[in-house]
Amino acid sequence: MSGITAVARTYLVTNLRERITLFWFLVFPLFLLTILTLIFGGLGSDLETTFAVGLVNSARANGGPTDFSSMVERAFVHLSSSDSPDRRPLFRLHRPADGEDPRAFLDREKDAVRIGDRALLIEIPAGFNEALLASVGGAGPPAAIAISVSGGRISSEIARSIADQVIAGVNERILTVVGRFDPSQALTVESARVGSNGRDFLYVDFLLPGVVLMAFFTAGLFGVPGTILFGRERKILKRYWVTPLETRRFLAGFSLGHLALCATQFVALYLLGRFAFGARVALLSPLSLAFLALAASVFLAFGFLISSLARTANAAMAIANILNLPMMFLGGLFFPIGELPAILRAVMLANPVTYLADGLRTALGVTTPMVPCAATIAVPVAWAVVCVVVAARRLQWGAEQ
Amino acid sequence: MAESITLRVTDLIKHYGSVRAVDGVSFSVPTASVFTLLGPNGAGKTTTLEILEGIRRPGGGSIEVFGERRLRIDRAVKERMGVLLQDGNFEPELKVREVIGLFASFFRRSLPIDAVLERVALKEKESALVRTLSGGQRQRLAVGVALVNDPELVFLDEPTTGLDPQARRAMWSLVSELKDSGKTIILTTHYMEEAETLSDHVSIMDHGRVIVDGTPRELTAGLGEETFIEFDGRGLSDVQLASLDARCGAMRSDDDLVSLETADFAGAMDRLISWAKEAGVPLRDITVRQPNLEDVFLSLTGRRLRE
Amino acid sequence: MGCRAMSAYRALLGAELRIFVRDKASLAFTFLFPLLFILIFGALMGGIGDAEDSRIGLAVAPNEEGRQLEQIVSETGRLSVHSHPDRTALEAALETGDVDFGAVWDGDRLTFLYDARRTQENHTFEEVARGIAARFNLLLQGLAPIVSTRVESVGGRGATGWLNLVVPGILAFSTLSAGLFAVSGHITGMKQRKLLDRMIVTPMPRVALLAAVISVRLAVVYVSTLITLGVAIAVFRLDFDVDWLRYSLFVPAGTVGMMGFGTVIALVVRQPSSAGNIANAISMIMMFVSGIYFPIEIMPAFLRGISRAMPLTYMADALRYATGVIDMSDTRFWWTTGILFGAGVAVLPLLARYVVRADRR
Repeated sequence: MSGITAVARTYLVTNLRERITLFWFLVFPLFLLTILTLIFGGLGSDLETTFAVGLVNSARANGGPTDFSSMVERAFVHLSSSDSPDRRPLFRLHRPADGEDPRAFLDREKDAVRIGDRALLIEIPAGFNEALLASVGGAGPPAAIAISVSGGRISSEIARSIADQVIAGVNERILTVVGRFDPSQALTVESARVGSNGRDFLYVDFLLPGVVLMAFFTAGLFGVPGTILFGRERKILKRYWVTPLETRRFLAGFSLGHLALCATQFVALYLLGRFAFGARVALLSPLSLAFLALAASVFLAFGFLISSLARTANAAMAIANILNLPMMFLGGLFFPIGELPAILRAVMLANPVTYLADGLRTALGVTTPMVPCAATIAVPVAWAVVCVVVAARRLQWGAEQ
Repeated sequence: MAESITLRVTDLIKHYGSVRAVDGVSFSVPTASVFTLLGPNGAGKTTTLEILEGIRRPGGGSIEVFGERRLRIDRAVKERMGVLLQDGNFEPELKVREVIGLFASFFRRSLPIDAVLERVALKEKESALVRTLSGGQRQRLAVGVALVNDPELVFLDEPTTGLDPQARRAMWSLVSELKDSGKTIILTTHYMEEAETLSDHVSIMDHGRVIVDGTPRELTAGLGEETFIEFDGRGLSDVQLASLDARCGAMRSDDDLVSLETADFAGAMDRLISWAKEAGVPLRDITVRQPNLEDVFLSLTGRRLRE
Repeated sequence: MGCRAMSAYRALLGAELRIFVRDKASLAFTFLFPLLFILIFGALMGGIGDAEDSRIGLAVAPNEEGRQLEQIVSETGRLSVHSHPDRTALEAALETGDVDFGAVWDGDRLTFLYDARRTQENHTFEEVARGIAARFNLLLQGLAPIVSTRVESVGGRGATGWLNLVVPGILAFSTLSAGLFAVSGHITGMKQRKLLDRMIVTPMPRVALLAAVISVRLAVVYVSTLITLGVAIAVFRLDFDVDWLRYSLFVPAGTVGMMGFGTVIALVVRQPSSAGNIANAISMIMMFVSGIYFPIEIMPAFLRGISRAMPLTYMADALRYATGVIDMSDTRFWWTTGILFGAGVAVLPLLARYVVRADRR
């Protein structure tokens, strides 16, 4: 094995054997991919939550044909039962006990909503049936159902939007019953997905490229300065310089090893994303692989820059920690970037991560491009060149050459 | 037949600002011999060696190695050298075998890994991670690395510091074997016995300069026909020591060791014994010895090799 | 504490303070990090929060019903309307991101168009679409809704935007990390660097060292959360209704509790260098599943279970309560505070006995 490949192999092997680096470079990205996909992947699909909801019908008459309040009540009760054993009901209803004073119930339930024990309180108020009839006759505004929500609680928000859907259905049903609405003439509503051949994209298709870039980024930002500076301080590198191995061959081996590490990260994440979460995004296409190689190289160069700017290993780690999260979040790795204040927008546009993420995702067809196509290659390459030039002049290897 | 010289150093200089770490050092090392730089900590031994190993740039002077004057120790020279650094570490997460293999890959020519492992008695530890090794095992690994290319010239910087006596003796016998197989060894140490036992030639350094050099025998011969009589002086009062000094002269006492230096052994023994009888002092652990390099250093600088 | 312990404590207190102030990395972490988080998430608010109006593109047939649809859409809150001549133009606009979603009425059916790539946000747009469809459905037959909802918000003293929810969560996180790393980081670091060894061979009472570290940590955490809160209010013009009594009691209690947690880690993990990394990993995991940045309700059931087992979830809620963002039962707040404090106080003596020791086997 030549010196260069031996150095490369050493870099890869030691990073995978040391628990800390193994965790942050490999285990953590896998974990992050899993967690974020589990959390956000389910958005919009069937919720697995059951909301505790208080319900009281203060307008109940005797259940006769004009007792619309019962109809509304039944619509909500329907939500509290589930059609199949696997699907949980959306609501778990709390009703007044037999003979309980409705006022007392309302007060109790409102307090429960306030402190978060209930997501919602629904009251079909007294006079509802009369108001409804008036509204049907055109002589009054819509009859109102009183809903109490807890300010600031997401569960209230979601439960309320579910209630809104129920009410919409109730409207149609009541108008049908009184013969005003003809269900056969009901509006046909469809929905269609546009863009990227109309294929439905999962969140994981958006996320996976981002996590891969994050893994490359952390490896470059922490791994490169860590290895070089700790190696220099602990005099591990010193042993190399008394052999015929020149620094430039060491550098070549080091870089090769780093790219091998990135390749390992990519393979692990791709396998997880593809086979555990069904990601369909075409990360193996030549264009995508080219972008990934570019990203790994840019972050490697960035790591060299940090190594040359920090004087000690601890200083380098501190710098890396400070840069880490802002560069990742403001590069759009995890969330699409909305409107930013000017300062942050400037940071975003100076950040090579932004361009790499955008270029990669556009090449994969999972996003609308945010920056011009040429910039997605030019800016990162420029970054890499600057980093290499600065590092070449400043980086000390620990031997007087 | 003219002896061939593997390494010749002339007026080597290395200054760091006002500190003269190496201040005009000269020596030459014949092939297949053991040359030792002896001196206390801070004498400049390691700095000198690191210049010769190519990791420090000389401030002045000339270096001639393998028959050619070199302005810098380049790759071609390093192919033929083996270096044991005084300080230096290996990647903690590599196995012993992998370390040898890694370093072997840096040279055009290298010995088989198994051979190196056997040489330094690390064969059973070949799959152990560096971080699980003891200090002595790490040192052996470092020696293995220094020998992996079967070098002609070997630098050993403080090879036995921190080793237990058994390991030290193992290292000494390794050095002898290397010399017997035709290699040239340059070693630094602050242990006098090491210099005396191993070396064909010794240069004693202090404050960046060579203060004296020669074979160990030549150096101690410079002290003449002196004999040293020493005994354990624990419990002796200052008054008693003063009276001994008055009677016998040339006396030193430190660390509970009283030593008399004399050219007239019989006479000195006589006076010592009569003093001891009068003072009622038992002469514990009495030894008689010839001068050693420690004494040489002491006589030249007034200080001990070991602080 | 005895007399000697007191003077040892005072000396150590001064030393700890000075060490902390001079350690720039530590300073940056404690004060800068929460600020960074707030700034970043405040700025990202536009991405997943509910800040601004959604843009809907309309391509409607130029008839009576089309105008009715336009009417409904324009009356819908938080929507800005953009008209397009036909579906193709609308699809193009959707593809380039000029609109967020679209509605097409060709006289026969109502079709909603979504960007396939905006997987996270589409469910919000779908909800709006459902509302539009329901009203349009009735309007086509000349009808208007006869049942509506009247929403009343109970509880929550201050404003309740998404960022209002996130900020106390970040304060909770910085309280957690400060407490956790005081032990599994600072103290284990001292152990690792053999600093403890030197002190332990003196008659220094270990209690004094711990008391000094704890005192400094409590003061620093409290101040840093105040600074973070202040910056959030100033930069993003947020409103909070802080209950100072509850806030000032909770933050120290939470810090103490998390120091206890750090002690447990240091006890379980023998290697001092690993303790810091384990604490780091655990706090990162907690950060993601505790409902600080994403509401718990949207997580799958088992993740919700995990989040209910995390102290950070409860700490975030308690601080949301103390800053007036949400309401909760006061009893529950005091229980949370008490349990955190009690657990910490119960475990800390173990710290003195088992952790503050020389690093020898």
